[in-house]
Amino acid sequence: MLRPKAKAEKEEEMSGERTIPKLNDSYDIVVIGAGNGGLAAALQIAVKGGKPLLLEQHNLPGGFATSFVRGRFEFEASLHELAGIGPASDKGGVRAFLEDECKVDIDWVPVPEAYRLILTDDNLDITLPFGVQNYIEAIELEVPGSREPMNKYIELCRDLKDTIGLLGKLNEKPDITKLAESLKNLPAAFGDAASMPVKIGNFMKTLAYTVDEVTKTFNIPAKAMKILYPYWCYLGLPTSRMSFTIWAVMLLEYLERGAYIPRMRSHELASAMEARILELGGQVEYNTRVEKIIVENNQVAGVETASGDVIKTQHVICNASPTLAYNKLISPISAVPPAAYKNVNARKHGGAGFVVYLGLNAPMEEIGIRDYGLFISKNMDTDDIYFSMGKAALNNMQATICLNNAIPYCSPPGTSIISMTTLYKSEAWHTLTPGDYFKLKNKIASDMIDQFEKATHTRIRDHIEEIEVATPVTFARYTGTHGGGVYGYEPEPWDSVIPRILSQKDECYIKGLMFTGGYSQMCHGYSSALMSGQATAGAALRKMGVK
Amino acid sequence: MRTKVHIKGELIDLLAPFYLLPDRKRRFEKALPDPIESDPVNELARAIHPAKLKLEIAEIRRETDSAKTFRFVPAPDSGLTSLPFFRAGQYLSLKVDIDGSPITRPYSISSSPNDTLNNGFYEITIRRKEGGFFTEHIWNSWDAGMIVESSGPCGLFYYDSIRDSKELVGIAGGAGITPFRSMIKDIIENDLDVHFTLLYGTKKADDIIFKDELLELAVKAPYKLSVHFVCSEPDSGWDGLSGFLTSECISNCCGEMDRKTFFICGPQVMYKFLEKEMTCFDIPAKRIRREAFGEIPDITQYHGFPEGAAEKVFEITALIGNESKVLPARATESVVVALERAGIAAPSQCRSGECGFCRSILISGDVFVCPDNDGRRLADKKFSFFHPCSSFPVSDLKIKVIRDI
Repeated sequence: MLRPKAKAEKEEEMSGERTIPKLNDSYDIVVIGAGNGGLAAALQIAVKGGKPLLLEQHNLPGGFATSFVRGRFEFEASLHELAGIGPASDKGGVRAFLEDECKVDIDWVPVPEAYRLILTDDNLDITLPFGVQNYIEAIELEVPGSREPMNKYIELCRDLKDTIGLLGKLNEKPDITKLAESLKNLPAAFGDAASMPVKIGNFMKTLAYTVDEVTKTFNIPAKAMKILYPYWCYLGLPTSRMSFTIWAVMLLEYLERGAYIPRMRSHELASAMEARILELGGQVEYNTRVEKIIVENNQVAGVETASGDVIKTQHVICNASPTLAYNKLISPISAVPPAAYKNVNARKHGGAGFVVYLGLNAPMEEIGIRDYGLFISKNMDTDDIYFSMGKAALNNMQATICLNNAIPYCSPPGTSIISMTTLYKSEAWHTLTPGDYFKLKNKIASDMIDQFEKATHTRIRDHIEEIEVATPVTFARYTGTHGGGVYGYEPEPWDSVIPRILSQKDECYIKGLMFTGGYSQMCHGYSSALMSGQATAGAALRKMGVK
Repeated sequence: MRTKVHIKGELIDLLAPFYLLPDRKRRFEKALPDPIESDPVNELARAIHPAKLKLEIAEIRRETDSAKTFRFVPAPDSGLTSLPFFRAGQYLSLKVDIDGSPITRPYSISSSPNDTLNNGFYEITIRRKEGGFFTEHIWNSWDAGMIVESSGPCGLFYYDSIRDSKELVGIAGGAGITPFRSMIKDIIENDLDVHFTLLYGTKKADDIIFKDELLELAVKAPYKLSVHFVCSEPDSGWDGLSGFLTSECISNCCGEMDRKTFFICGPQVMYKFLEKEMTCFDIPAKRIRREAFGEIPDITQYHGFPEGAAEKVFEITALIGNESKVLPARATESVVVALERAGIAAPSQCRSGECGFCRSILISGDVFVCPDNDGRRLADKKFSFFHPCSSFPVSDLKIKVIRDI
């Protein structure tokens, strides 16, 4: 094992010659960006025996799914909780994909409760458990008379979820006019077969509506509606514009299977996928920013990186948004058809992130918080909260995580970790100058700490041992996302999952270019981004002739 | 039996989904068919956090016999119109090619954020180390007009108004004064609501960098700054404090320890010395901020470093892109140093295990990670990723090196 000493003399000869990394001239498929979507896509391809090249501009995998160390704390960068995981005995789609299909080793930790909601204007402070019945009973206890309409409401959510489960079984995505028919012809794999036509009918009849439009027909007491709505912020657009379909499926998935987080922050998720891709023979290159997607005759011909690599490929899976791809990456620019610009210009970008990360020198018991996830807001008027996202000042709502209440030993004994998240429209940050940047971010962070202390009647400020603040600028810095957006395009009914999936073929403007991640067909959120990677890779493999 | 929903009426509900895709198409039709400008948030991110900078040495100033200040402005052909703003106390990671080896070194910015914003420059102040590989090179070859490559401002050693108290104490040793010059100027120039007490230890009075300037600032802003120079081996003419930065000296200069935040920057021996001296004050960890530890000159002192490994030279098989290269590596030098010696441009910034910029994959073999510099994430340990700048080879290694930017 040990080298003879004489080896040391050799080092003089070695110096002077620079080694510049080289990549192959061509790859079957190139994945741009190692965010959740890119990692999942590369993973799925590698699992099926493909040899993907995954290129990432940053020096780490994960995109938003990462962590960072400050002093004796390791902070979660962005994850609140994942849907689609579930316990080992009832795996959700994401867990089944990662564990069973890809053999990715992640230590999943369940989140203890659905959420604690504090509405300061309404004097409301309630903690909701997971489990549909427990959840409804907790609301009934607070707002008598909610049980019956809530039961019906959740039943409708289940209709939609079951129908979408069926939709996944369709080999060929049909025209929307034949959607109901195609679904009805499938053997009912979910729920009881007799009720399937009604379920499909309910799915079809709510497809074009917003959350408010559907929810208001259930006569749920107003106060119970407020308790029901806080998950809206995981989709980030007001319930008056949010697609009911995506909302219903998300809500039910959380309530039924609970929420999970990786024990070692989302960096465990990213690193585990990365390690598995490498193990399967995929290649991952960091600090390698793709500058061009080269297009010839309306067909992807290759990519070019900022480091000067020119790589031939006919298939590109892009984890960057279509907005960035069409505006920045496609080369020559004349290869972008007007329809592609119209597509991305018509869509609305979701919220940009703002997070205050705090390492406290007191344990959670001493602070006096027992819950993992808290939604704190003035009220639950989502239009009003959304409006407050348009100004770079204290936002009406924050979604806060007390990590130790899910993972007790995530920080040293006697300490704890809290992170407070809010969203902005990126326009709110457009007039900011570098000279005011650090001041503004500390001002908002300080106001958010006040907001938290007042709402929870706790004192945390004196315990702050480490603080870091991420703004839309920070998210833009590390991921290049347009405007610092941490969500994809807003899922209004016309731009929700089903319309996106059914329009995929029509909206493929450049052959060989496919998208994954929060801006792609499944909409945003960790679980959706991961599942989009699986789906897009599947489509790519079919095109490449791999089964 | 399942209940059927009624939203707006049976027929409308049934027909609504069929208008969904036409609605989508109509919206696309109405949208502009043109590319869009880059978002100002992305522009701001690039302005504040560029991946690298090309700087021109505008001016060199001699501070003491052994210290020089280099003033940098944007290099003419760099495309930079202004330098990135920063937080007082941050550093630049300079990248210099010495005899074919691409070497990085972190240096605190000694000028103030205002100087950058209003006057367009950074200053770093470097003390020459006798026989030092890097500083000797700079002394011999750096001149006004030269172009130097650097990272953007980085590092975590700065005052934070939310976290820290309003009574700040800076303890500097030798060249460790540099971030404090920036912090002190920032406090005075921006009239920050804090008071700063500086304790600055050097060997001799002649070694004190920025002596006159600091004294002048203390006279100009007595409510913001008090300065104490402490010489350990003073000449006979010295009438200031002498000795080391002991607990007694600190307590004499600072008075009450309660609710003060300490910032410490200097050589590693000073960190270790102060750790012992300050134990008696019982200050909570949050009130002691220490600059990144720096490279480890003698890893063999650390408990757990394998006995007998010190003299050994191992072989590293480094995968870079699609190629692999075999290089020798001394057990007493970090993996990043071995890569640099072999002419491999691997990224590094803090060289203290803290920033994670050099994160690489340890495919096989063992490294000893310096416990003072272990900034790895939990999952990195689980999946065998490591920081070459704070890891020392204790067997032959196979690693995948991340490419430099």
